[in-house]
Amino acid sequence: MWRIRKFEEAVEDLFGRGMMHGTMHLSIGQEASPTGMCMAMTLQDQITSTHRGHGHCIAKGADLTRMIAELLGKKIGYCGGRGGSMHIADVETGNLGANGVVGGGLPIAAGAALASKMMNRGTVAVSFFGDGAMNEGAFHEAANMAAIWKLPMILFCENNGYGMSSSTAKAFAIDNLADRGKGYGIPGVNVDGNDVVAVYEVAQAAVDRAKAGEGPTLIIAETYRWKGHSRSDKNLYRTKEEIEEWRTKDPIPRFISRAIEAGLLNQEQCDAIQNDAIEAIKAAVNEAVKAESAEPSGLLDAVFKAVSA
Amino acid sequence: MSFKYPVVMPKMSMTMETGELINFHVAVGDQVKSGDVLFEVMTDKIDMEVEAPADGVIESLVANPGDVVEIGKPVLIMLTETEVMAFDFGDDNEPVASVEVVAPAPVVETPVVVAPPAPIIVNTNVKAVPKARVEAANRGIDLRTVHPTGPDRTITMQDVNGAQLDPAIIKRQEANKALIAKGIEMTRGIAQASFTRSVSANFDHAQFIAAWAKVLRGRPDLAAHEHIGVALIIESKYGSALPVFRDPDQSSIADLAALVASTTDAAKNGKVPVAMLSGATTTVFDLTTYSMSSATPLLFPNQVTSVTIGYESATTKIVSLTIDLNFCDFYDGALLLDALVASL
Amino acid sequence: MSDRMLTMAEAVREAMSIAFDERPEVFLLGEDVGIYGGAFGVSGDMYHRYGADRVLDTPIAELGIVGAAVGAALSGMRPIVEIQFSDFTAQAMDQIANQAAKIHFMLGGALHVPMVLRTPQGSGTGAAAQHSQNLEPWFASVPGLKVVVPSNPADAKGLLLAAIDDPNPVIFLEHKLLYKIPGRDPVPEGSARIPLGVSKVVREGKDLTIVATGIMVNKSYEVAEKLAAEGISITLIDPRTISPLDMGPVFESVEKTGRLMVVQEGPAQAGFINEVIAQLAGSSSFGSLIAPIKRLAGMNIPIPYAPQLEKAAVPQIEDIEAAAREIVKNWR
Repeated sequence: MWRIRKFEEAVEDLFGRGMMHGTMHLSIGQEASPTGMCMAMTLQDQITSTHRGHGHCIAKGADLTRMIAELLGKKIGYCGGRGGSMHIADVETGNLGANGVVGGGLPIAAGAALASKMMNRGTVAVSFFGDGAMNEGAFHEAANMAAIWKLPMILFCENNGYGMSSSTAKAFAIDNLADRGKGYGIPGVNVDGNDVVAVYEVAQAAVDRAKAGEGPTLIIAETYRWKGHSRSDKNLYRTKEEIEEWRTKDPIPRFISRAIEAGLLNQEQCDAIQNDAIEAIKAAVNEAVKAESAEPSGLLDAVFKAVSA
Repeated sequence: MSFKYPVVMPKMSMTMETGELINFHVAVGDQVKSGDVLFEVMTDKIDMEVEAPADGVIESLVANPGDVVEIGKPVLIMLTETEVMAFDFGDDNEPVASVEVVAPAPVVETPVVVAPPAPIIVNTNVKAVPKARVEAANRGIDLRTVHPTGPDRTITMQDVNGAQLDPAIIKRQEANKALIAKGIEMTRGIAQASFTRSVSANFDHAQFIAAWAKVLRGRPDLAAHEHIGVALIIESKYGSALPVFRDPDQSSIADLAALVASTTDAAKNGKVPVAMLSGATTTVFDLTTYSMSSATPLLFPNQVTSVTIGYESATTKIVSLTIDLNFCDFYDGALLLDALVASL
Repeated sequence: MSDRMLTMAEAVREAMSIAFDERPEVFLLGEDVGIYGGAFGVSGDMYHRYGADRVLDTPIAELGIVGAAVGAALSGMRPIVEIQFSDFTAQAMDQIANQAAKIHFMLGGALHVPMVLRTPQGSGTGAAAQHSQNLEPWFASVPGLKVVVPSNPADAKGLLLAAIDDPNPVIFLEHKLLYKIPGRDPVPEGSARIPLGVSKVVREGKDLTIVATGIMVNKSYEVAEKLAAEGISITLIDPRTISPLDMGPVFESVEKTGRLMVVQEGPAQAGFINEVIAQLAGSSSFGSLIAPIKRLAGMNIPIPYAPQLEKAAVPQIEDIEAAAREIVKNWR
């Protein structure tokens, strides 16, 4: 979680200095959800992610240098500078890619789960998405197909209360998003998305269910993003009090105090983990910044994979 | 351990380059918590509150309210206990990328070679299929002389290959040629001499004929007529037209220029006003559009002098003069040409 | 010999069966492709031969279906997804254009999408506006998609096999009217591929070059045969793959004939065939033209219902014949 937090803070800083093109969608405050879910997964299990996907990529094991390099438009970036923040994929850690289209990853994850089932691989596919995606047709179609075919898929919703500026109160006629699972005949599970241990437990149960061939689970993890939707967000749609209240539920100090109370870690160890994260991010940034910039030559050849003779 | 952290003007939209600092919410010495508002900034699209990235104390204020600050440049400095993820890569904050610096190309002294203006062969006012244009250009056929038989009066390949000229145009071309041939025949027997000079000057037809007329005006002893009429040869698809400009040195250059322009247009369409078809006392032939440098000017009947303008280079022209030795001797001829060249 | 005169539906089924036999990762999904045998009978008995594990009947959910195909393709399968009418690809456009087409490029080559999307297109069945479109330009204009338009069963078989081999997303547009009729040529036995991105010179002539797509290839062929008897000799070129487009034979032919006519079914405005004209007009072969370029295409209207209206909306054999005569006669 510290790695995700520090990574996002570093991105915020670099972007604020004008070193990154485009815009950034930061997940500060939401670290517990991807962490808890990915802890229940193996490297071969697959994920699809969203425009707010840095946390998912890191939790699944992505290389920090290559991530920063991609945001800086470098050749060694995950996409060679051609994809940017919203399209980072890492085949080796089972990451089928972040997606810039809301809901775009849901049918893809269903397809990955379908392939896993057809090939008897025993892996699961997790689609991370936000509350906003639950109203996209793609969510409905993917959830239904996963349900009827009992695909080994987990639909993991990070409900941060807002689809850009529309609150869930205004975008849904129901109060409990997990109820939608009933509509497809699959279990809908609520979890405190800022409690990494709780997320892990729910995630593991869903993974077990999927691998046992019992089909998909819809997980609604309640969380909150501290920063605006993107760097150009003026936060006109929510109050300071709301933001303040959620800051007190910061997942990282919560876990730290819980671990210390349970006698599993002491303060020094926790600080060391934080420092390690800081150093790792700093090293990644410094290395990425020195890397060669991506060049336009070769763009035409990059569209298609070459047909082998 | 205390960290000194500069809070900079953040980039808040894809196109933002500077922001205006509106006001501070804190003062030097204030304790702040992560998330507290430090100051407000404005760009043309967005007003934003900039928050403290961590708990700490305000050490100093760098910018002033109302200042326009570049993104990435500090607005205030705070001291924090927790290390803030901050990366300052130097003044311009550009990541150091290995950019190839292309050495400027060495300056090579090349002699200025200017191609002569292309001879006018293909007329873009005429419609022709692409291959016909290519064919006409290759064979030096003037498409204005090709009779179109294709739809919408478009010249087809057949037309170019057969080069069927419009019978009406052929007739006029023949008539014109006959007239000029007759005139030349008449003057062939006259004793004449020619001179040539180069001149580095720019001038248009109006300026030239006005200058020439003025020179002639200064030598009434060499004239065979009372008035001066300068005939200017203008080529068109109908052949050569020779409109005469009477006493061109006596109108304003602007009026003369307008007259030359309208007459040239008319001549290209085969319509020279009848009044301008007589009274020539001298003839001017501009060869530059044919890239020709000189041709011995031919005397026309009842004319004492004839002038050609030839092309030597982009900046130099060749002016040639032929005189009727019955009216003008060698010396006078040379003086006339000198005077003309001097006045250009 | 006549038992190899397969219809396009049979030829496509044969190609899919060959691919199924060659590679276990190939499978078919779509609405009604299984038990029903496909809305146009293309998948036929494949459900019975290969089972429900490889011929998947899906709910009516084009976006989900194509997305699932993308996800499966990313995970090592080679899906063939059938969308019942090309008009319905509109429902799936995010997965086609924003996902499948772009994944290889935007992920820097880390992943690729070996998927074939087969769908019937075109008018003439009285299915009216929402079931009769020719949407070639929608796909041809998206970088990252390959687009194939077979004009006959023999080509369809070889092209589909090549499309399934291809590691990139291929949109395979079949014309509804060709499903139930054989072509001029027998469909070859065996599993020979016809490479994508190679145009075919269907017949050679010296007076006029016709470039046509899909069903217009066959109409143009009939015209060419008829006019040959009158001494007008026509070269007919079928691009087969419209993206990436092989213009080589077109340039060569125009330099010989000097006259170019392009024929497509889809509406003229912003239609695919304009690409042929644009490339020719900007090429050195332009100087060989002895006549303006003639374009025959559909009217810029949705396809109407009544048969006489439906026919009037797209070029017919008479239109092609009249245009060919006119261009050869008036431009010598």
